[in-house]
Amino acid sequence: MVDISIIIGGPQGGGIESAGQIAVKTFVLKGYDVLGSREYHSNIMGAHSYYHLRVKERKPGSLTLPVDALLALDAESILTHYRDVRPGGVVIYDPAVKATRVDSIQPMAPPLKERVKQDLESRGLPATAEGALKAMESEGVKLVGLPLKAMLRKVSEEVKAPVTSVSKTVNTMGLAAALYLLGVESKYIEKAISLQFAAKEKVVKMNVAAARIAIDYVKEVYGEHETLPDGPHKGKLRMIASGNDVVAMGKVVAGVGFLSYYPITPSSDEALYLEKHKYLKLSEDVAEKLGYDRLSVVALQMEDELASINAAIGAALAGARASTTTSGPGYSLMNEGISMAVEAEVPVVITLWMRAGPSTGMPTRTGQQDLLHSIFSGHGDAPKIVVASGDHVEAFYDAIKAFNWAEIFQVPVIHLLDKYLASAMTSLDREELDVSQVVLDRGKLVENPGPDYLRYKITEDGISPRARIGDAVMNVTGLEHTEDGKGTEDPVAREQMMLKRERKMKLVLEKLPDEDKAVFHGDPDSEVVIVSFGSTKGVILDAMEMLKSKGVNVGFLQIRLLSPFPEDLVADYLSKAKKVISVELNLMGQLAFLVRAHTGIKVDSLITKINGRPLYDYEVVEGVLKALEGARRVVMSGGA
Amino acid sequence: MARSWLEYKAPAWVQWCPGCGDFGILNAIYRAVAELDIPPERLVVVGGIGCSGRTTFYVKGSNAHALHGRAIPLATGIKLARPELTVIVAGGDGDLLGIGGGHFVALGRRNVDITVILFNNAVYGLTKGQAAPTLPAWVQTKALTSPNIHDNVNPVLLAFASGYTFIARGYAYHTNQLKELIKAGIRHKGAALIDVLQPCPTYNNVMTNKWYEERIYYVDEEGYDPVIRSADDMRNKLPRIMEKLMEFGNRIPLGILYWNQTRDSFEERLEKLMPGYLQAPPGTRRIDIEGRPVIDPFEVFKDRVIQT
Repeated sequence: MVDISIIIGGPQGGGIESAGQIAVKTFVLKGYDVLGSREYHSNIMGAHSYYHLRVKERKPGSLTLPVDALLALDAESILTHYRDVRPGGVVIYDPAVKATRVDSIQPMAPPLKERVKQDLESRGLPATAEGALKAMESEGVKLVGLPLKAMLRKVSEEVKAPVTSVSKTVNTMGLAAALYLLGVESKYIEKAISLQFAAKEKVVKMNVAAARIAIDYVKEVYGEHETLPDGPHKGKLRMIASGNDVVAMGKVVAGVGFLSYYPITPSSDEALYLEKHKYLKLSEDVAEKLGYDRLSVVALQMEDELASINAAIGAALAGARASTTTSGPGYSLMNEGISMAVEAEVPVVITLWMRAGPSTGMPTRTGQQDLLHSIFSGHGDAPKIVVASGDHVEAFYDAIKAFNWAEIFQVPVIHLLDKYLASAMTSLDREELDVSQVVLDRGKLVENPGPDYLRYKITEDGISPRARIGDAVMNVTGLEHTEDGKGTEDPVAREQMMLKRERKMKLVLEKLPDEDKAVFHGDPDSEVVIVSFGSTKGVILDAMEMLKSKGVNVGFLQIRLLSPFPEDLVADYLSKAKKVISVELNLMGQLAFLVRAHTGIKVDSLITKINGRPLYDYEVVEGVLKALEGARRVVMSGGA
Repeated sequence: MARSWLEYKAPAWVQWCPGCGDFGILNAIYRAVAELDIPPERLVVVGGIGCSGRTTFYVKGSNAHALHGRAIPLATGIKLARPELTVIVAGGDGDLLGIGGGHFVALGRRNVDITVILFNNAVYGLTKGQAAPTLPAWVQTKALTSPNIHDNVNPVLLAFASGYTFIARGYAYHTNQLKELIKAGIRHKGAALIDVLQPCPTYNNVMTNKWYEERIYYVDEEGYDPVIRSADDMRNKLPRIMEKLMEFGNRIPLGILYWNQTRDSFEERLEKLMPGYLQAPPGTRRIDIEGRPVIDPFEVFKDRVIQT
């Protein structure tokens, strides 16, 4: 069974992401499933960043440590990750950085420097890159030094360009060496390079040359290497996409007409990807049926998040499928708008990519700290739909469903995701993004409302026919109102409207299928059940397999609909369990809080991680074992 | 054939104080949209919060009543989703220049075809008379416990600096002249500001009808030319335009102060970027064929597709 993990580390702005993507593409080309994630600082250039990936025959649900190969493109990468390579693994580095002292590395975080110095000192090793390399060597890690300078000169001669202009190929050299040592043939690496730098012929040429030079060097010094067999997916047409990408794709498929945003990590890449595809030429037969041949989406960078949410509300009122995308701080600013969208019954979709707070916190790191914030956002008894996606595939379909639900129930829908999923790239099959079964349901949208139209007509199910602004005389307002949308403070009308809006929430629970509310993975009769939501799905599923091999059987209840809370379903699943463990990346135990509030069931243990790094498979395993021993809370701390 | 202004009068009790300048503005709006023959369902009045925001309930239109300060972004969303609609923002000075100041600036930068009617009475009426951003320094209106120690913002100059392409000032009690300014603002394809000086008889006991009448005059009576049709026009007329935009003291100019006819509206810019946008805008275009999507991700997002 193939299970390969790699870390590629180097300075931000130094092409780490490109190297990571080339690695992902290489393995996908070779027929494997890949999960890769970028860890980076809130910095443009110079701070340490790394790409962490895992390769398997079947889609990896999680990242893990230690890794099989570390590609360290600078001294800081050696010193940051030297404890994360397994015995028998390999580190690829440039011998020229060996003498670099920990203290001389400016971007390195002072607390990390102290930890590294203490560790190396305790092993009797110098606080240098060489010290860290020796530590690895003593644990059975193979050291592969690449004389990058000399190799660069070779590249320069080969492509007939000055050394300075080929200097960026050092990443490729390191990567090619690492991939070759892992058993990947040169042809896959070369193809991945040409895909990565598609239109830039010169860049492709110099990188391919660099890859060959590096592989030749490794062959010469370390001998020919055993080849990894091709993976099971070879020959398929596939996709490699991030969480940000698939949400943008889902929105376009759903027919989004308006996307407003204000730049914020980690949501901006979603908007950016959507902007790239905001103008599409439609096929002739589609154009004929629709009555237009070019599909244009107004994707608009606003002046702030207040404008983003209110502009999206405006566009939704005028009939567009409208959305905005943001992260915690921006979502805080949107609160008043969300409350208005509840009161005024506006079908707007807000994509919330959680990151590590509170406040600005750690902008580029992950977390699940905005669950309660999303549910309770907006003042004044403001019920809304909140749905959390567990992985890329769910994220794609949820992005579509969010618009359907927004329009059917005429409420704001919060699509809850996080930074880990945002930047995690994975391989996807055509069947996984199959739109042939997707339905676009616009609810009670009326085309010809007529002269007596009432925007907030009281109906049995609470849902009023919805006309676009511009199609009927009407009033839409955030004031409490009568059926015609005129502001009122009449006590009876007020009560009617509050109850009308509440009925819609009841209808959500009636209409949505169970698989959109909560999904049970594993044996429903398990005595130990994990509850969780969002991107921890994959890591929990992986950990369940690992636990099974240790003879520990656990079930997993993944709660997808967080508001309105599917309390009957959740209570059904959890009431049979002897022990309930919540896995969530926040210290408050926000999901555990919700479960108890809605079902009265007290979660026995909380497994959490708050250091902003993704949860690893072995951490869930360790946490569950500790929980079974009676630990009430286990805080995991892995990752650099 | 123009419609009767009565077609736009919504059946509602108008809850402003007797003598409020808002009545004059409301009447001017009724008459302007009637003379422009805008079908009520195609007319969108977006109001903010405050006395002025209630205009949305008094004009028959397809209206939205926004949050405090957020009328402009809400209106922007509506207009860009359905560019064929006539969109008017009705907001107070506190709403548009205080809490919503950032959006006021952004509308100018975008030059979206929206007509902003600024109900400018220099006080927060509905919350009982606090100082608004247009109240001059050291003025003490009756609800203030001490004189205003904030300087006042100049809305027309701010609009100019922000990129509005039509800037006018009217007076609430001069309904006929104001009606003409609103008509011109609506006809203009781009961001239009009509700064309407408006006595608040309840809370602004300083800037009263008498105070204004002693100061206001119409620039067209002086043969003033606000129209910019070329870069040359801009060079030649700018000094005079700046003079008028900055004048606010013993004399206060009314009328069209600046009218730049050389700039594309935001909708026109979008059309340039995405030809076909105006023909099938996001608000009204169909998104599905018999309830099914028209997009296949593997056909459209080719930059992410890989043949293994």
